[in-house]
Amino acid sequence: MRAYLPDYELRAPRSLTDALALLAREPGGWRAFAGGTDLMVLLEAGLLTHRKFLSIWHLPELKGIEVANDHVTLGALTTYTEVQRDETMRREFPLLGAAARETGGIAIQNRGTLGGNIVNASPAADSPPALLVYDAELELVSTRGTRLLPYREFHTGYKQMNMQSDELLTRIRLPRTTGDLKTYYRKVGTRKAQAISKVCFAAGARMNDGRIADVRLALGSVAPTVVRCTQTEELLRNQTIDEATTKAAREMLMTEITPIDDMRSTADYRLNVAANLLADFLRQLKHT
Amino acid sequence: MSAKQNQRPASKQGSGVVGQPLNRVDGRLKVTGGARFAAEFPHDQMAYAVLIGSTIANGRIKGFDTSAAKRVPGVLAIITHENAPKLRPVATNPAEGDAAGRRVPLQSPVIYYHGQYIAVVVAETLEQTQQAAALVRVSYDEQPPAADMERERGKAYPPKGKVAGKPADTMRGNTDTGLAAANVRVDEIYRTPTEHHNPMEPHATIAVWDGDKLTIYDATQYTYGVRHAMATTFGVPEENVRCICKFTGGAFGCKGTVWSHVSLAAAAARVARRPVKLVTTRQQMFSNMGHRAETEQHVVLGATRAGKLTAIVHEGLSHTSTFDEYVEPFSKATHMLYACDNFKASQRLVALNVGTPTYMRAPGETSGMFALESALDELAYKLNLDPIQLRLVNYADTDPDTKLPWSTKLLKECYRTGAEHFGWARRKPAPRSMRDGRYLLGLGMATAVYPVNHFPSSARVRIQSDGSAIVESSTHDLGTGTYTVLTQIACETLGLPPERVEVIIGDTNLPKAMVSGGSSTVMSVGSSVQGAARAALAKLVETARADTRSPLYGASADQIVASDGRLALKSNDARGETYRDTLARAGMKEVEGSYDTEFNDKEKKFSSHAFGAQFAEVRVDPDFGEVRVTRFTGVFDIGRVMNMKTGQSQMKGGIIMGIGMALMEETVLDTNSGRLVNRDLAEYHVPVHADVPQLDVVLLENFDEHASPIGAKGAGEIGIVGAAAAVANAVYHATGVRVRELPITLDKLLGKGALA
Repeated sequence: MRAYLPDYELRAPRSLTDALALLAREPGGWRAFAGGTDLMVLLEAGLLTHRKFLSIWHLPELKGIEVANDHVTLGALTTYTEVQRDETMRREFPLLGAAARETGGIAIQNRGTLGGNIVNASPAADSPPALLVYDAELELVSTRGTRLLPYREFHTGYKQMNMQSDELLTRIRLPRTTGDLKTYYRKVGTRKAQAISKVCFAAGARMNDGRIADVRLALGSVAPTVVRCTQTEELLRNQTIDEATTKAAREMLMTEITPIDDMRSTADYRLNVAANLLADFLRQLKHT
Repeated sequence: MSAKQNQRPASKQGSGVVGQPLNRVDGRLKVTGGARFAAEFPHDQMAYAVLIGSTIANGRIKGFDTSAAKRVPGVLAIITHENAPKLRPVATNPAEGDAAGRRVPLQSPVIYYHGQYIAVVVAETLEQTQQAAALVRVSYDEQPPAADMERERGKAYPPKGKVAGKPADTMRGNTDTGLAAANVRVDEIYRTPTEHHNPMEPHATIAVWDGDKLTIYDATQYTYGVRHAMATTFGVPEENVRCICKFTGGAFGCKGTVWSHVSLAAAAARVARRPVKLVTTRQQMFSNMGHRAETEQHVVLGATRAGKLTAIVHEGLSHTSTFDEYVEPFSKATHMLYACDNFKASQRLVALNVGTPTYMRAPGETSGMFALESALDELAYKLNLDPIQLRLVNYADTDPDTKLPWSTKLLKECYRTGAEHFGWARRKPAPRSMRDGRYLLGLGMATAVYPVNHFPSSARVRIQSDGSAIVESSTHDLGTGTYTVLTQIACETLGLPPERVEVIIGDTNLPKAMVSGGSSTVMSVGSSVQGAARAALAKLVETARADTRSPLYGASADQIVASDGRLALKSNDARGETYRDTLARAGMKEVEGSYDTEFNDKEKKFSSHAFGAQFAEVRVDPDFGEVRVTRFTGVFDIGRVMNMKTGQSQMKGGIIMGIGMALMEETVLDTNSGRLVNRDLAEYHVPVHADVPQLDVVLLENFDEHASPIGAKGAGEIGIVGAAAAVANAVYHATGVRVRELPITLDKLLGKGALA
């Protein structure tokens, strides 16, 4: 049943400084509320247990896409629609655009944010695998200062994050070193849109003289968190793509992920399809 | 009987709009928000009701703690079984179009299923009501639920009532002999899951008492049914209850029954002494408003090498609730579809701790034809025979069940036209023999059939002194196009353009129509509208003929025709006058005609059914098991097509629902707790637009005078029948993998490896 709205408190600080001050004053007391596309669902179902929220939707410091020489910085409030529309993102980070296109419907894409997708920490989220491939870094800010954290180190367990209760995720930084990667993004689901994925796969690689010079593999919905499959990457590096390599990589990948049976699919299916996705990626990589 | 023989003689009367793809006359109201649905009627002093559902699936309520809830400002009443007014049960009467599920709410502490209503909270605002409802504490004695058909199968029992009008166990000829004579056999189990209707509009009720008189605004398929139920439940005369339902936002069967929230809204209004609005949640709809029952169907087919069926066995299980009986009549169509001397049907029930299942779009045929038409497909492969050819070999020229001739049956034309439109000839017979790049391609087909159900119904037509007309009946528009089609039928007889005809429906103050279910509405109410329009016109003609000042004075009635709002001589159009002139001169405000359509089904001389042929093309990803329907053709014989646009839309809606059934729809019951796991639209998947290809729908020309006076056979349900089987058969053709358990999800198809 829908929660009782007067039980909730929502504050809208004037500035980032005010927001951080509030978070510092009552650690754990306040939680950020951005696009609301996840939180409103919980509210409607009466499952939103936390009661005090900090609206950050209007804070200019958390908005915009900035292109510098060596990296692109996305404000945490960057929406899926903005990701799809930005020229640099389209050119250099196509996996994020592909993920954004597959997230929810148009209304969700207009309102849902990249930062929200990260801190909601769902292992089935669509954009995190792409962020993992791009070696994204997160800027976490508190009154104590600013720290930069590789996104790969952010999720520590199911819905567990390397983030303090007084911190805000403010920006996402993408190094501009991946524009030449051959990329692959595939969300596998029951229907063509608006379905939480059974398996989500994002990958990028660079070939050099017939061998894999650089490869990044990331998966969603196959473990308690989204995962970057570094052992499989290791195995593939400097290899030519042939049947033996593909077979070995498939086997390695299947040891690196730990999918479960749930309402949306089976562990068996997820294991096999993850391996098939990798094989499909390698096939395409070979033929480009 | 061919289409030609049955064509209606060309009528000189009317503007001939029947059959034309007239846009919905209520379209503008719908898109501008002007169409008022049940929850949208404002009332002074409206209070709000919220239902509380049980959090256990089996047991008893020990007690309530309402102290915190009562302290919420604005709370007017908290009604539980401890303080609820006495509500009388309503007898189930199938003849009245009632479904099962009439357990009287809040009369005992017994819990039969998860989500069962255990309390109603009434307060001044919706927010206060929700808050108070959230604060009601309940303690239970919980028992383990029966929530798994497999686990409970040992307790399966024969239905107490009939199965779609027939005994639960029936035999024609001898299937043992038939199977012994067979050269080839198919013997398989097919399963369909629990599915939910999920109309867009939630069930909603506004109840307003004025002394002993009750006005009830309800999202329903049956206004008179609501009236009858409320009169019985509250012990007031039927005429004291008025039910209003101007638009229903989709139903598919779940609004055909008066579920218990309706009486709870009325009880809440009585206790609170205020008009009360109650809108159910999507979650409550999953638990409390019926569903398509899960089935396990055993189909055995025996055939000669030439494909002639020597025996058909169709038997199995479906579930019902522990407190009521609903049988999903999956063997219904198998009785009559194919010519076969030896046929056996048998159905058993398993009682589960769930709400009672109910009618859902083509109940029986939808689940049953998935099994039968899949089995036919399997037989075709075993015989190395084209699936259409196999169906033609077993084509029934008369009804094998009743031995009656068909009223009309254009099924052969459906197969032929469908095969042409779809390009069936392109299909290579072997499974896994067609590809589209890296994708596996498959083509499949299935037959569709749905019986003619027509009910007695009444309508009134009034020709007004301004030359316009008003059509009245209590019937319903579920989004199906009733307003539009009734307009067209009246226009045809009255010779008026659509903008001069106003259709008023959805109110028990109007002449009685039965439940809008079983694809009956247009056949039944449409025939009454035609009859009433003819009666009104006859009165107008009499008025003109009898008036010495009329140019038609003295002319014989059969020489007078109506068109463009005028009466004129058939032989001389100049000799005539407008309706307005006739009525004005006579000093009359209007002429009125009424008509009660009766159907004498006791002395049936024909067997009447709508027919169709469904063709699906699928593309299967061999690595991921994703199935996408890429093309679909459906060809149907639904008798006379009253509106080509709304008629085709009905078929398309059915086909889309069939695609959903084939590939994604499934309600998951937690077998331990008895809770529905996916009781929302995020996890109960129906097709999105991107899942639906261009649908090619053909409606054949026909006029079935035995089905209904207006020649229609019913359009609401046949579109879904066979659609899932066509997709499933296409999936087998593409992959060589036969999935006999719907939905055909990716994991079932892929198994432990890949299809590549």
